Amino acid sequence: MEYQIEREEKEVLGDFKPELIPDACGGGIDDYEEALHVLMKFVGSMSSALEQVSGRGANAIVYQAGKRMGHEAGKMVEKTDDLEKAMQELSEILGVEFFFDMWKPTNQTEYTIEKGNETVVKLIFRDCVVRQTLRRTGLPQKGPLCYLLYGYTVGAVEEVMGIKGKLDIDHVGPNACLKTLTIKWGGK
Amino acid sequence: MVKIEIDEDACVGCGSCVDDCPNDVYEMDEEKNKTKVVKEDDCMACLSCHEICPAEAMEHKNIHVAKRLYIDRKVSGILKKII
Ligand code: SF4
Ligand code: SF4
Repeated sequence: MEYQIEREEKEVLGDFKPELIPDACGGGIDDYEEALHVLMKFVGSMSSALEQVSGRGANAIVYQAGKRMGHEAGKMVEKTDDLEKAMQELSEILGVEFFFDMWKPTNQTEYTIEKGNETVVKLIFRDCVVRQTLRRTGLPQKGPLCYLLYGYTVGAVEEVMGIKGKLDIDHVGPNACLKTLTIKWGGK
Repeated sequence: MVKIEIDEDACVGCGSCVDDCPNDVYEMDEEKNKTKVVKEDDCMACLSCHEICPAEAMEHKNIHVAKRLYIDRKVSGILKKII
């Protein structure tokens, strides 16, 4: 007798023809949830293994990968040297899964602070898939995966504004993370 | 606008929230030995104070509640039945 793996779920059987433009994904919300969680665990484990093997060098490698992605994504939107417009475009690039706002303490009048040839702006990331993934895997909110997002953000801003940028982490929390974006005027 | 409420009966006066908040939203009320909210408008709703408070004594109202896609609903469902 042929051996059969036993499963609780029923296998989906149906007909299938080659399709040019697929119009259905199949599966329900529970399947998406399960797939997301599997991906989170995979990516989280990969990130912590990378850190174990390469130490802090892992952050630098991943940062460069993120930056390259950001530059590619930034090519899709209009170039501007207006910071507010650039932030609007960045929010379109990052999408709703990386919902962020500009932030300032109440005693500061403007969102931006000028320091010589640099402009500094604080960004508060409210929704973040990286945070979700790290929490799913029980990892602290730091390390290579965070650097992927830093790189992505910096790359996109650099591409949109034609400047050199840097992102530093100020504070992380379970509901939001505060970052400082520094823009260096005067080209790359 | 963020609104923060402290349950004074629950607060044990450990001061962890005062130390943890990067925006100095809290201060210790030395007389009562409880925390008090002094700069509510500077709260950015990171909720790290929620994670550190041993008494779960604070509530933040009218904030952006980040998605919690990391929650495994099946596991939470089982835990809810037990706890
Ligand atoms: S949520 Fe963050 S900013 Fe607001 S009081 Fe708590 S630690 Fe401070
Ligand atoms: S961390 Fe919680 S228990 Fe400690 S002082 Fe703050 S509110 Fe009170």
